[in-house]
Parts: sequence; C-alpha cells; structure tokens
Amino acid sequence: MTGKTQTNLQTDQEYWNLRARKSKRARWRQQSILIGFLILASIPVLLPYFWLFTISFSARTGGVESFVLWRACAILLPAVFIGGAVQMFIPSRRHRLDAYFAIIVVALIALVWSIGPYLHLENYRFLWNPNIVEELKGMSGAGGDQFPWVWSAFWNSLIFACVQSIVVLYVSTLAGYYISRFSFPGRSTFLQSLLVLHAFPAMTLVIPIFLIMFWVGLIDTITGVVLVVVTLELPFSIFLMKGFFDSVSWDIEMSAIVDGASRRQAFVKVVLPQVKGGMLAIGILAFIKGWEEYVFVRTLLFEKSNWMMSLYLFWVSEDIMGVDYGIVAAVGVFYVLPSLLLYLFFQKYIVQLNIGGVKG
Amino acid sequence: MARIELRNVSKVWDNVVALEPTNLSVADGEFVAVLGPSGCGKSTTLFILAGIYAPSKGEVLFDDQVVNDVEPRDRNIGIVFQSYALYPHMNIRDNIRFPLKFKKTEKEEAMRLVEESAKLVHIEEFLDRKPSQLSGGQQQRVALARALVKEPQLLLLDEPLSNLDATLRMSMRSEIKTLQQRLKITTILVTHDQLEAITMADRIICMSRGKIEQIGSPKDLYENPSSLFVASFIGAPPINLLEGVASQEKLNLNKGSIILNHAHQGKLTLGIRPENIKITKDIQGIKSRVGLVEPMGRETLYVLETTIGELRALVPESAPQWGQGEDIFCQFEKESCLFFDTETEKLVSNLRLVAIE
Repeated sequence: MTGKTQTNLQTDQEYWNLRARKSKRARWRQQSILIGFLILASIPVLLPYFWLFTISFSARTGGVESFVLWRACAILLPAVFIGGAVQMFIPSRRHRLDAYFAIIVVALIALVWSIGPYLHLENYRFLWNPNIVEELKGMSGAGGDQFPWVWSAFWNSLIFACVQSIVVLYVSTLAGYYISRFSFPGRSTFLQSLLVLHAFPAMTLVIPIFLIMFWVGLIDTITGVVLVVVTLELPFSIFLMKGFFDSVSWDIEMSAIVDGASRRQAFVKVVLPQVKGGMLAIGILAFIKGWEEYVFVRTLLFEKSNWMMSLYLFWVSEDIMGVDYGIVAAVGVFYVLPSLLLYLFFQKYIVQLNIGGVKG
Repeated sequence: MARIELRNVSKVWDNVVALEPTNLSVADGEFVAVLGPSGCGKSTTLFILAGIYAPSKGEVLFDDQVVNDVEPRDRNIGIVFQSYALYPHMNIRDNIRFPLKFKKTEKEEAMRLVEESAKLVHIEEFLDRKPSQLSGGQQQRVALARALVKEPQLLLLDEPLSNLDATLRMSMRSEIKTLQQRLKITTILVTHDQLEAITMADRIICMSRGKIEQIGSPKDLYENPSSLFVASFIGAPPINLLEGVASQEKLNLNKGSIILNHAHQGKLTLGIRPENIKITKDIQGIKSRVGLVEPMGRETLYVLETTIGELRALVPESAPQWGQGEDIFCQFEKESCLFFDTETEKLVSNLRLVAIE
C-alpha cells in the first residue's frame, strides 16, 4: 500500500517537473521569437535614419559612399542580436551589465578600426560657414543667388514653432475648458465640426489661403504662416484638450469654489494642474508640427530672410547644381535633431494623449 | 453658526423638475439629514444651499437674510463631497490651507489653524503627504478638516461615508456626530443610507421625486411614517407591506382577512415592521409556516408563508426559535399596524387593527 503511494508520488513529481520544463521552454521560445521579430521589423524603420547619419559623416565631394553604412551595419546588427540573447539567457543583472559593456566595447573598437578613417565633419561646414552655396557654386561654375546662413533659417524655424505652439496651447486650453464645462447653443454641432475640420487635407486649401493672405497683406510674413498653421491645428487640439478637461471631476472645481476661490482662481489653481500633462503633450506636438511645417512655408514665404529649416533643406538639395548628398544629409541630421531630442525628453507626456481620452 | 431657511425654493432644468417648491428651516446648530434615493433632489437642495446652483424660484435665507445672489465663496460654507474632492497636486497641508488663502489669513495663523483642524480629525501625521498616498478613510478626514478649517457657519456633507468600508463607516459616523455636537455647527447631511440618517441626525428630511415626503425625528419617521415611501425607505429589514381591499370593517388580504376599527372602502396597504410580529405555537392569530431562516446574530429573521401573504418577522435571540417548515401562528402588535391608502400612498391615520380573523 505504502509502496504504491510512493511510486505515485514519484510519478506525480516527474509529471509536474516535465510540465514545468515544457512551459519554461515555451516561454523562452516565445520570447526569442518576439525579440527577433521586433529587431527585424525595426530595421527598415531605422535604416534610413542610420543611412542619413552615416552619409552625413562620411560622404566626400558629393558622392554617396554606402560602404561605410554596410560596414557599420555588419558590426552593429550582430551586436544588437547578441545583446538580445544576453537579455534572454543571462539572468543575473550584474552579469548582464558586464556583458553589455563588453559588447559595446568590442563593437566600438570594430567600428573605429573599420570605418574610423572615413569619418569627417566636412559636410557640417554649413554650420560655421555662412557662404556655403557661394563656395559650392563657385566649384560647379554656376552663378546664382546667395543662400542665407543656416542659423538664420534655424532661428526662424525656432521662433515660428515656439510662437505657434504657444498660441495653439493658449487657445485650445481655454476653448477646451469652455466646451467641456459650459453648455451653449450649438455645442454638439461645434464639437462635430471640430472633427470635420480636422479631416480637411491642408493641401486643398493652399490656393484659397494664398489668395486670402495676399489680400490681407500677410503674404511673405512669418505672422501670416503662424496664423494659417495655428488655424489648421486648433480644431484637433481643442478636441483633445476638451477630453483632458472632461476627465477632471466637477467636485474638485465646486469644492474650490465653495472654499472661496473665484471661477478663474479655481481654473488656474485647481483645474489646470490636473491637465498639465495633457497641455505639455499638446504643446510639444504643436511645436514639432511647426518645426516640420513645409507646405505653407513653401507657398507663403519668398524672401530668403524668411526661410525656415524645411525650405533650407529643400533648396540645399534643389538649388545646387549636382546634388551634394553629404551636405543634404548633414542638413537633414541638423534639422531632425531638435524634434528628436524633444520627443526623447517628453515621451511620457506624449503617451498620455491616449489616457486623456477622446470622447464626444 | 446659522439658521437656514428655504422659502418655496424650486429648481427646473430644461422642463425637468429637479426640485418642487420646497419649504424648509434648519435651526442653529442642528444636525439635519436629507434622506432619499438617488435622483430625489437631495443633492440639488445641497447645491442650492452651497450657492453652486441658483434656485429657479424662491428664496434661500441664512439668518433671515436672503442669500440668493451671494456667491458660494462668500457664504462661508464647508462642504465634503462623496469623492472627497481633494486637490491631487497639493499635499495635505496645502489642501487644508486652501480655503484660508482666500480669507487672507496670516501665514502663521493659517498654519496654526491647519494643525488644529488636522488634530481635530487625527491626521496630523499625514500633513506632508499627497492625497493619493492616503487611504479612503484618511482622505475623508482630510476633506472634513478642509471643510472645518475656516470655521464655516454651515457644514454640508454630500454622502460623505458611502465610499468607506462598513467598519470605517461606523466609526466615522460617530466621529462626525461627536465633532458636530462639540463644534455646534449647523450641519446638513445628504445621504441615501437610512441607517446613516437615523444614527447621526437630530432631524430627517425624507425626499422622493423632488418633493419632501416627511420631516421629523428619526424615531418619528420610523414609527409614524406619513406615506408608503417613508415607511418602506426607513428600516432594515424593511417593513412588511401587504396590499388588500377593504369593505366595511373588513380588510381582505390575499386568502385571509383582518378586522378594522371602523369601516373603510377601497384599496389599503397594511404595513407592519418585522419586530412587531410575534410567533407562537398557540392557536391564535394567523396560521403560517416557517420558510427561510436567517440568523443575524442578536436576532433571527424568519420568512413566513401566511394566509395573508409572505411576512418577515424578527425574533430576538432570547425568544423561542423555530425550524424551517414548522407550522406556527403569528400575531401582530395592534398599535404598530399602519394602514396606507394604496392609491394615494398616504397614511390613513384613524384606522387600527382590531382583530385577525
């Protein structure tokens, strides 16, 4: 009798051990497939940026030298895969960090040895040389207008993006609050039309807006472009802001009012702090939208002193006889850097947009 | 402290009547509970008192002064919401101090008052935390402290205990009552929980569908409800209600009937509280059989199948107990039987039970 239960116990034990091993293996398999898939899927997304980056540091006299890119990829891809394997197979955190460190050092040494000699900063000379095009044109023998210095375009872009994001933020905050809290005739129609407005492709409006700007006399002014872009951007921002305000409970506001605050004080001291994250997200998105604005910058601005980064990039690739890909890539990297940094620093606020909720 | 009065106050939202014309007065230092199911207008009444809603018609008076046009912030009211409505971005100290900022209280004086009211509700050790770091009960106390810190003349409590668990609710109930008696602030409690109203308030205002059904002391409402609504809303386990038709001195209920003290015509509802039903083995009263038995600690609740319908009887532990399926007889305490007109739902006060047939 006892013998029998003993064997039963043993087989039970084996049975459970077998199960445990099986599910452990299945988990590993799943995870490695997932990591592998994610790495592969991100290659086509990252590769163009990486190409831009390597070209900007390696191209000489206009030619495209892609071997630097391939060599770099040949070193970095295995490094990433090994990194993934380390993440999976080394359980201890300390060992993992050591392994990462080793991988990074090896990859760096390999990179320096294989592509180090080909890297240079020549393509970035537009940053300290105001007359870059003059020089290039002199080389190619073509005459032409002078380019503005890149910093002037950068400065214009910065001012443009800042001003329009501030205006968008200010208007959409107040409007969002009003729509969220007050009932007025036509409220639901207004809400619907906000979304319909957002559905319009900006392109369809280029000619009417050009004419309006011309008649009003704001053509070729940054103020005009700010007004246009803000107008196109506001509907959706207002809609998002309304969602954020909807999620702030009435009780808090009423409590503040009974506690002695005026409506305005309650708004500033109690309600606004609750939607801070949402405001930041909308502000950043508006800034990036302004930073990358091309259509209306291209159509409404002519003067070189009004150029922005997007126009500068366009003309760098367009206006120079025989495109110098090195410089174009370098300008591209310079152009993308600010918005990239902004995204990196404020990711967590932008993600909040999902939480703020879009409800009618 | 203040005397509160509503004169013919009503509230209409786009043709929906939230509050019928209502008259009400609350004495200085009184603790009044406004009791009713959700949507009965009790919160509307509260918000009208706070000044958040303007009444559609009528006058609100504080100490005989009409305050209809006075802003909420100038009414000197403390309010506690069901959700506590603490300001999540401020720590507890700043939360409690918030009302004082608008009173332009000196900083040191404000700090002293904050400490004082925090002590009053025993949260002095949490002053530097954020609301999200406190439990529900503690948040509740903070809300109370914030309402009390400016020494309001009127304290409004909007279902303050409904988000707390049962034990905590009981201790907060007595704590709030003690505090109110000590500070003697005129207090109006809005609740849908009849137990809360009965245990805390000096006087209960029972509301239904935007109208006041009855005003009275807890005992009054329990023993002499003026309508079917009040009778069924107050008391747990609820009152037994049996519908029947009266002709002459006889009220026919289901398969049985009872004798009234004088003649009545039409539909009547008999109301009897579970504790007023006596169960015996003597062949006297209504023949019944014990259905479900629910022990409740000090008492046992019996569900009885009788000839006049299903009844619930509450029997104290000391009395004889019965088993399921047992045949017994039940008797009513005659003076506790209430008769309501089924149509108008009002109490027919002159009817008494004489005998059971």
